[in-house]
Amino acid sequence: MKGVALFVPCLIDQFLPEIGFAVVKVLQKLGVEFTYDQRQTCCGQPLVNAGDSAGARRVAKRFISIFEKSDYIVAPSGSCIHTVKEQYLRLLADDPKWYQRAEKVSERAYEFTQFLVQVLGVEEVGYRYEGKACYHESCSILRQLGISDEPKQLLNNVAGLEMNPLKDADICCGFGGEFAINYPYISEEIVREKVKNFQDADADILVLGEPGCLLNIRGYLTRHGMSGQVRHIAEILAGQEGVQA
Amino acid sequence: MKPQTEKFKELARENMSDGTQRAMLKLFPPLLKQLRDASFQDLGEEAAMEKGRRIREDAVRDLPYLLERFEDEVTKAGAKVVWARDGKEANDFILSLAKEKGCRICVKGKSMVSEEISLREALVESGIETYETDLGEFIIQLAERPPFHIVGPAINMTVKEVSDLFHEKIGSPETEDANELGGYARQFLRDKFQNADLGITGVNIAVAETGSIFLVENEGNIRYSTSGPKVHVALMGIEKVVATFTDAVHMLKLLTRSCMGMAITKYVSVINGPRKKGENDGPEELYIVILDNGRSRIYADEMLRSSLQCIKCGLCSGVCPIYATVGGYTYGWVYSGPIGAVLNPLLLGLDRARDLYHATTLCGACNRYCPAGVDLRGILLDLRAKEMTGNKTFGAKRPSLFHRLFIRFWSWALLSTFLYNMGSIAARVLTAPFVRGGKLLWMPGFSGWMKARDLPRFAPKTFHRLFAQMNEQR
Repeated sequence: MKGVALFVPCLIDQFLPEIGFAVVKVLQKLGVEFTYDQRQTCCGQPLVNAGDSAGARRVAKRFISIFEKSDYIVAPSGSCIHTVKEQYLRLLADDPKWYQRAEKVSERAYEFTQFLVQVLGVEEVGYRYEGKACYHESCSILRQLGISDEPKQLLNNVAGLEMNPLKDADICCGFGGEFAINYPYISEEIVREKVKNFQDADADILVLGEPGCLLNIRGYLTRHGMSGQVRHIAEILAGQEGVQA
Repeated sequence: MKPQTEKFKELARENMSDGTQRAMLKLFPPLLKQLRDASFQDLGEEAAMEKGRRIREDAVRDLPYLLERFEDEVTKAGAKVVWARDGKEANDFILSLAKEKGCRICVKGKSMVSEEISLREALVESGIETYETDLGEFIIQLAERPPFHIVGPAINMTVKEVSDLFHEKIGSPETEDANELGGYARQFLRDKFQNADLGITGVNIAVAETGSIFLVENEGNIRYSTSGPKVHVALMGIEKVVATFTDAVHMLKLLTRSCMGMAITKYVSVINGPRKKGENDGPEELYIVILDNGRSRIYADEMLRSSLQCIKCGLCSGVCPIYATVGGYTYGWVYSGPIGAVLNPLLLGLDRARDLYHATTLCGACNRYCPAGVDLRGILLDLRAKEMTGNKTFGAKRPSLFHRLFIRFWSWALLSTFLYNMGSIAARVLTAPFVRGGKLLWMPGFSGWMKARDLPRFAPKTFHRLFAQMNEQR
């Protein structure tokens, strides 16, 4: 496998670096040589969501210049990959040259579990994780990218891990980036529902693939002193001993 | 209907504190969704949805041609097409027609577009007794409320509320039996139907090929409104037309399933022109009023055009986590749910309804289930972009200078590794005094978030830094 570039989304870079290292650990275990370009910042999704097309367009071009030489671009976030895959095309639609380059990058961008299953053909990573878990289908992974079987398959094959159903797993957790900041009282009601379904599930760990959902749901749990953990799927796949971050 | 879209935040809080409404919203959308899923099984969901999206996309693309063809066919069938640029033109025409024909009592079928132009209010003001005859619409007419849902305008009201309302307004005895209440409405309206000389309906689907209009209902009130009175006026937006009868039948299948989870509704009327010689019922005259009211402006914008593909099934509300939380009134005008968050700003002006397209998690459930291929998620994002540039065509006002500068600085930081890293350091230094037990106690803009949720502190070192250090050590 050559030319794999790792993109670490800004929320993980800033708040949750351990998830980045979990991804590194999994890739190394699978023998994937990858590069991490130190020039990378953010995909520009917050700008797209804020309506700043001009700013997002500049960030998109920079992202494309950094990543276009790689055969695969892998990130542990569905919403960032969706930004690269879909929004860049929209932003650069009027610029044929850049549109072509965006198309190339779009074809090569993969959400982490999608890359493991679809590209590497991995069925199980090989680390152990003891516990009962359920899986939350983050909106951008499930609907925007259409990925659902891949993460579930990987989780089902983790030794020691018992996967149980989560009610309304496909319903949004109420994060929505700037939405949770600007309309916190609405967002709070939606995350409460998600947390309730998690508490009702036969599981101690809520697994998901999106750092935004993770901050939202974990933040609600810890604030209310509730039991249960929220983990990024990379952390589970990287096994119980975890990673040094 | 008077728009209240500016009051979104206030209406959200008010409606969220209504316990009955919250309980209803937890029950009814998931139930409808289940019925919908079950009803699609005999149809082959994926292929049927794809076909529906294509039919509506093609129809909207060919709109100018299809509308002309529709007019030709309608005219051949002996009815008249009237074009209205806006609500006032439509209302003025219908009022002058009513006056000319000496109409005194009007019975109305459910029509969202008539709510959009406040047609009932205009008729009542000019002295024409006007009755909504769809049970839900009849209830909200008496209650003087806006529709709570595109398909179920009074779905949020309890039997008790309706009983009290009927008792007060039409003098019926109090009861806890919903069927009985339906009976009282029926009794009250029967006499209006028999004496009405003007019937007004919307149009669910218009067929260019044959000049037919489809009307879809469960109560029979539309059938009555279109067959009893001597004049029938059907009001439709320009977007309602499809190319062929076969297309219309396919959209009908999707509409009834997406709306109510039904393979077919109890009544489907297909109307071709007024009563012809030798026919027993139907109006003497049929007018089809085709309303623009801002739609051609939407048509002209490629990013927004797919919003015209909507068939008003209301399913996007049923799968929307925001609608399920704030309810239909919070959208402040005729249309609610995700399609309301798109249409209300586009028809009223972005500046008057900016919360509607910001108060969304962009979860995309609406796109997933839309049987007509409306890119609701994409349009919501596009409305934000139009606001940022102060788009005049759709009445946007740019955000404050402070907000724009904030976004601009942010985008600069993302354009340079150096600035990004400096920003990372600054964020850590500035928030250091507010870190307790691994959490941030304060961060500008986050006070709302922090009421119910913890926010972790910035990691002592970013992944960037840690990864670089790891490589140096090697």
